[in-house]
Amino acid sequence: MLLQMEGITKRYGSLIANDRVDFSLQEGEVHALVGENGAGKSTLMRILYGEEQPSEGRIIVGGRERVFATPSDAIAAGIGMVHQHFMLFPSFTVAENIVIGREPKAGVKFDRKAAAEHVKTLSEKFGMPVDPWAKVADCPVGVQQRIEILKVLNQGAKIIILDEPTGALTPLEVEWLLKAIKRLAKQGISFILISHKLNEVLGSADRITVLRDGKVIGSVKASDTDAAALSRMMVGRELAKFERKPVVPGEAILTVDNVTVLGDRGTKPLLDRVSLTVRAGEIVGIAGVSGNGQSELLQVVSGLRRVHSGKVTLGGKDVTGLSAGEFRRAGLAHIPEDRYLWGSAKEESVADNAIMGHLASLSKGGILRKRLIREKVARWIDAFRVKTGSLETKAKHLSGGNMQKLIVAREMAHGTPFVIAAEPTRGVDIGAMETIHEALLKRRDEGGAILLVSSELSEILKLSDRILVLYEGRVAGELSAGDATEEKISFLMAGGSGNETH
Amino acid sequence: MKRINWTAYAQSLAAPLLAVGVGLLVGAIAIWAVGGSVGTTYAEMWKGAFGSFYFTASTLTRATPIILTALGVSLAFRAGFFNLGAEGQMVFGALAAALAALYVPGPGPVKMLAAVAAGMLAGGLWSLLAGWLDTRFRMNLLITTLLLNYIAVYTAGYLVAFPLKEKGGTGGAQTAMLDNSAWLPKLFAGTTLHAGFIVAIAAAVLLALFLTFTTKGYEIRMLGSNPLFAAYGGVKRGQLMLVSMLLSGALAGLAGTFEVLGTQYRYIDNMLTSPGYAWSGIMATLLAGSNPIGSVLAAILLAALQTGGMGVERNTEVPLEISSVIQSSLILFVSARITFSFIKRRKARAANGNAA
Repeated sequence: MLLQMEGITKRYGSLIANDRVDFSLQEGEVHALVGENGAGKSTLMRILYGEEQPSEGRIIVGGRERVFATPSDAIAAGIGMVHQHFMLFPSFTVAENIVIGREPKAGVKFDRKAAAEHVKTLSEKFGMPVDPWAKVADCPVGVQQRIEILKVLNQGAKIIILDEPTGALTPLEVEWLLKAIKRLAKQGISFILISHKLNEVLGSADRITVLRDGKVIGSVKASDTDAAALSRMMVGRELAKFERKPVVPGEAILTVDNVTVLGDRGTKPLLDRVSLTVRAGEIVGIAGVSGNGQSELLQVVSGLRRVHSGKVTLGGKDVTGLSAGEFRRAGLAHIPEDRYLWGSAKEESVADNAIMGHLASLSKGGILRKRLIREKVARWIDAFRVKTGSLETKAKHLSGGNMQKLIVAREMAHGTPFVIAAEPTRGVDIGAMETIHEALLKRRDEGGAILLVSSELSEILKLSDRILVLYEGRVAGELSAGDATEEKISFLMAGGSGNETH
Repeated sequence: MKRINWTAYAQSLAAPLLAVGVGLLVGAIAIWAVGGSVGTTYAEMWKGAFGSFYFTASTLTRATPIILTALGVSLAFRAGFFNLGAEGQMVFGALAAALAALYVPGPGPVKMLAAVAAGMLAGGLWSLLAGWLDTRFRMNLLITTLLLNYIAVYTAGYLVAFPLKEKGGTGGAQTAMLDNSAWLPKLFAGTTLHAGFIVAIAAAVLLALFLTFTTKGYEIRMLGSNPLFAAYGGVKRGQLMLVSMLLSGALAGLAGTFEVLGTQYRYIDNMLTSPGYAWSGIMATLLAGSNPIGSVLAAILLAALQTGGMGVERNTEVPLEISSVIQSSLILFVSARITFSFIKRRKARAANGNAA
């Protein structure tokens, strides 16, 4: 056994994040760690990587008991970690990023040529092609991740922890990555894979360990289980059967007519003559590789970005060029794509974050009605099972998934005819995902018009009545729910034209 | 629930107290270096600041303009606008107040009210100008507010040195003295403390209530905390900026007004700039993390360091500059805290959405 973690317990005051967790890893094994938000996966990995000290328990690497006081200790013992958010210097070259900390030197000078040579050898050895001289900022996300993995390999890692590695990748990149993991495992590298995506886990891992409430619920071979069994283990109950009632869509609520948005320096248009309609009682899904105009489209239909030409109407009213406040008054609720950038103020309280956009109903004569606010917010928190210390807790202390639930609760509470749901379940666990999906579908069934933007094709396919694919700022194609498959969408996302799908 | 709040309070107090502690320590080293006795010097400093009723009153008098500017700066900071123009706003406020009290006809209370209105308006408009330059021309507020200080200070200096100079006066650049019916009443006979102090305390309480309990206060806090979140929620940045800059400048203008009506009874060139009230106000805001009530305490602390420093100079060989050393190290440590939290914020952004 390459790695054994025995009886790991971690307490934070009265909270037990890990409760006598056993975890092991063999050479060349891919071992996935799954569980809901707050199940203790991150804590366990932070302990392994030397970022936290266990309250109890032992870590044995290669037959020797080890104590990791810092990540450097863990790295020295052959453990590497690729974080969910990459830790790269965008303005430096690929080679510079990979050799950082162990730069080849010519005298006292940093020998860039040797570094590039070294990186080339390394990338060939592990079958991870990169251009050593390219700037990281110019590399697509998938390549940046390759750079992270090479960096860790260059540090001599035999065990690589991948934290939510596929979150930001396109379907093709995901496929490539999972293959690369398997290949590296054959070369003797071992992986610990943290993921929410059960299909990816099932397709790439040898063994899967499920954590719930800090305890190991079970450790199973991937070939002996399936997604349904795993989610039962994770959630601790049967998930509700998912069904989408047929609804005949009503009148158009949102129309986007021939909208063009130019880049800041008047370069290539970010949105190029985009037209779409969302009617009452339907969910329209927008798919696309990120950076193909989704963010701009979201900003246009929420009043956060000006259009250069074209027209936007909401609830029959021409809202082109109006402010976000006026969009909201015309009937918009908006689950934003980035919960921290747009959706919250981290330094402020949960209550303050919850009432944004609700001031009119929660104040009288310019004075906030504190008691009413407490009652309302408490009800929203209950309905979406947001875990928070109190209403006065600062938003930054909520976990990402709980923050997301709070935002969804806030926006659904508006009861508006039009809802933008952008990445509504990013980073949330299965239980929360179920709650959020149910809320969106319920609104649709009640006649709401919903624009769904998601980088998860499975989410788009599950919820949408119609699917539009954006490619380089244009609508590359439209598919109806019955017609759409992952392959067809992927093809359009990669720039294939709608007519060539068959 | 309560417990979380208390620890939060304790934490928010810990940093400024630490800064004060380190500041006193650095001061002690400086005192030791110039050959003074640390114990005696600090004892004299305490006596100079709070040693008698008279000295305490003097400290609070000095704190009054610092409190008011600190409140103005806090308001702007909370909305996310770095208003460094308190000095200019204060100077124009003071000059306008002096002129109103001199030239508006009528009985004392009318003059006084006219002076307060003119002072707040002048300070507010001067601040609004910087806000407008930002919303209209996207000129950097930090720079405009800073540079507008020079324009205000030198314009006022010129005006009282020439056209508005006291007729037949033998003094320097100053206006004529106000009619004593327009003077702010003293709170205690024989001391310098005037009614402006009460107004300053009331203003602090009002500002704290405004920020916590009103919709506009909420919008200001959210705008300062995350402007994108505010925009997303439909908060109008431009309008709110102009309002908060206007109010911020008006408070600085009021600080200047009270110095005229309560202490000097005329506008004298350099009466506000040489004691550095505005910069002390900004320091107090930073020290208190833009909390209105905290700003009052910080302002009194800074005033005490200054009046205490004078006591030290009167009674020991240690120079007045010692209190500047302490103040400067305070600011150094407070700004270290700001930089630190800025870095933390950057890091937190990098670690956003860390699932599981």
